[in-house]
Amino acid sequence: MTTLIILIGLAVYVVLYFTYGKKLERDVVVATDTNETPSSRLYDGVDYIPARKEVLFGHHFSSIAGAAPIIGPALAMAWGWLPGLLWVWFGNVFIGAVHDYLALVASVRYDGRSIQFVASDLMGKRTGTAFYWLVFFLLVLVVAAFGAVLGGMFVKTPAIASAYLWSIGAALILGVLMYRVKMNFTAATLIGIVMLIASIILGVEFPIQATYETWMYVMFFYIIIAASIPVNVLLQPRDYLNSFLLYAGLILGLAAAVFAFRGFEVPVFSAFAPVVAGGKATPFWPAIPLIIACGSLSGFHSLVASGTTSKQLAKESDALFIGYGSMFTEGFLSTIVVVACAGFGYTALQNAAAAKGVEFTLTAANWATDFTPVSGKLGLSAVNLFVQSYADMVNATWLAIIPTIYVKVVAGMWVAAFAMTTLDTTNRLARYCISEMALPLKGTSEGLYNFLTNRWVASVIPAFIGIYLAYSKNFTILWPSFGAANQLIASIALMTGACYVHSKLKSRFCNIAVIPAWLLWVTVTAALVWFMAVVLPGNIAKAPAQGWTVMAISVIMLIMNFIFITDFVRKYRQEMGSSE
Amino acid sequence: MKSPVFRFLRELLSRLHDSHREDAVALTQVEMQELENIFALLVLGSFVGLPAPPSFLAVELLPFMERELKIMSRRAEDAGDMLAEMCGTLGID
Repeated sequence: MTTLIILIGLAVYVVLYFTYGKKLERDVVVATDTNETPSSRLYDGVDYIPARKEVLFGHHFSSIAGAAPIIGPALAMAWGWLPGLLWVWFGNVFIGAVHDYLALVASVRYDGRSIQFVASDLMGKRTGTAFYWLVFFLLVLVVAAFGAVLGGMFVKTPAIASAYLWSIGAALILGVLMYRVKMNFTAATLIGIVMLIASIILGVEFPIQATYETWMYVMFFYIIIAASIPVNVLLQPRDYLNSFLLYAGLILGLAAAVFAFRGFEVPVFSAFAPVVAGGKATPFWPAIPLIIACGSLSGFHSLVASGTTSKQLAKESDALFIGYGSMFTEGFLSTIVVVACAGFGYTALQNAAAAKGVEFTLTAANWATDFTPVSGKLGLSAVNLFVQSYADMVNATWLAIIPTIYVKVVAGMWVAAFAMTTLDTTNRLARYCISEMALPLKGTSEGLYNFLTNRWVASVIPAFIGIYLAYSKNFTILWPSFGAANQLIASIALMTGACYVHSKLKSRFCNIAVIPAWLLWVTVTAALVWFMAVVLPGNIAKAPAQGWTVMAISVIMLIMNFIFITDFVRKYRQEMGSSE
Repeated sequence: MKSPVFRFLRELLSRLHDSHREDAVALTQVEMQELENIFALLVLGSFVGLPAPPSFLAVELLPFMERELKIMSRRAEDAGDMLAEMCGTLGID
């Protein structure tokens, strides 16, 4: 079954890339290489440089791939394996990849400007400004959700925490070798990989045990420091090392999934509304995009696509491979996660219960109500379940020559590396958002403006709120709220894309973009309302301060959401009026 | 003798290598841009009324700064639109 699903997944992606994807390219955006791209038209050798499509694919994919496509599908196992998998495939092909591709193309046709610039131009300045607010809240929730994930994982498997810290040391040394000593690129890379392997071994040999709270403090200081030092000291060499981890993890996972030849242990379908978010019954629709975020679609991708990628695109015909193809690759990564958890998750939970000496009562009959609480109690929720299942999957094949603990640490490092990267880059981005958001204060309250935009203050604000929320250990609340913010950005970006296709291209097939935009908006809005009405009150009762903070953020996001749709509808009507 | 498979694999590896190389320098480019901005600001400071080196030095260097001037003016245009670029460079998710 594992092999079959992987092969079906592969077939689905390949077939739809060449049919649906090509149709998008041909009939919706009408990509043609006679249009010169900004990379050559505005070539300056610095920002605008045409890149080979494989190189740009690598850059774009490593920017969009992270920990989220791993965590979401593992959580969605509560519905059984099929609903999550279908959402990954459906969302990926018809919404997520369309969203990424349109954001890239719209940006290319706008001289490589960002999606929020395109949104301001097409739908009004208000939309563009609101974008910053939404991104800022998303960043705070990213710190909270990823902080909670990492804290949980470091407590459960101390070897991962230790290996990760060693790898930071490795990255610092690599940075010196590459940029100070100016060592030969290949030699420095080889030394980097050796150090990465050494850090995994050292991690296994010398695990660091600490409490969840201690890790929260460590993370709080780490992200502030990491966000403030020059990028070439830590961020750059570490991201470079991480990309090896990403490809190694993907190849190992793919090979193991293909050769595992194992049936699925997790039920196909448990119930429409199993217990997932905040211990409440969570209906598949509309809540699924809150749980599986980046595996099927993500708003952040539109920012990446319209940021550096669009300035380096050599030909319009490359855009499908890069924008649409990268998203498919990420969806395929989520497919591997589903296969690993569905094939090996149940045994992993059973073994964890046996190791703890507790009675294991989880069956297909009580899966819907018990999966999330039981996996939480056994310390195998979300990411830990993936790490264990992934290690077991690799162990079930000829790849068992690699000791399980090492595979486990590699899988954990894979997630940790991306989550950590996200944490400190988040702080850099949040700092920028704060300066933009505080701009209106400049004329009225100079002192407050200067205080808020101070390098350290602007770093501490998102880190503090994020880690404070993570401190509550309420992962099943934080994760859906992060999902909601991310999907809201996706819905605006997709609306911008739809608006672009409709008003600028006048395409007959513009519904390919307009329908998913509406579908996403309605789903995310309904999900957010459900989340605020059903899940958050319980959370507020348990942890009032943190609960109210999440509630306040959700209310602001909901208001933004209605601003966007008003602007979109107004613009759409105007266009309809003018075209008649 | 080089078989097509061998050629394909070699090509694939070289593209992967290029892609990694790009990853290795992408963020450093941002750092370089910042330094360039500071340099341009120092040299062209007298135009914007900031304390700067003597004007004659600025004027003397000006012809060499043509490309930088073009880049700077485009960057000035894009200055209010940095978020996506930062996301693209730093990567998140």
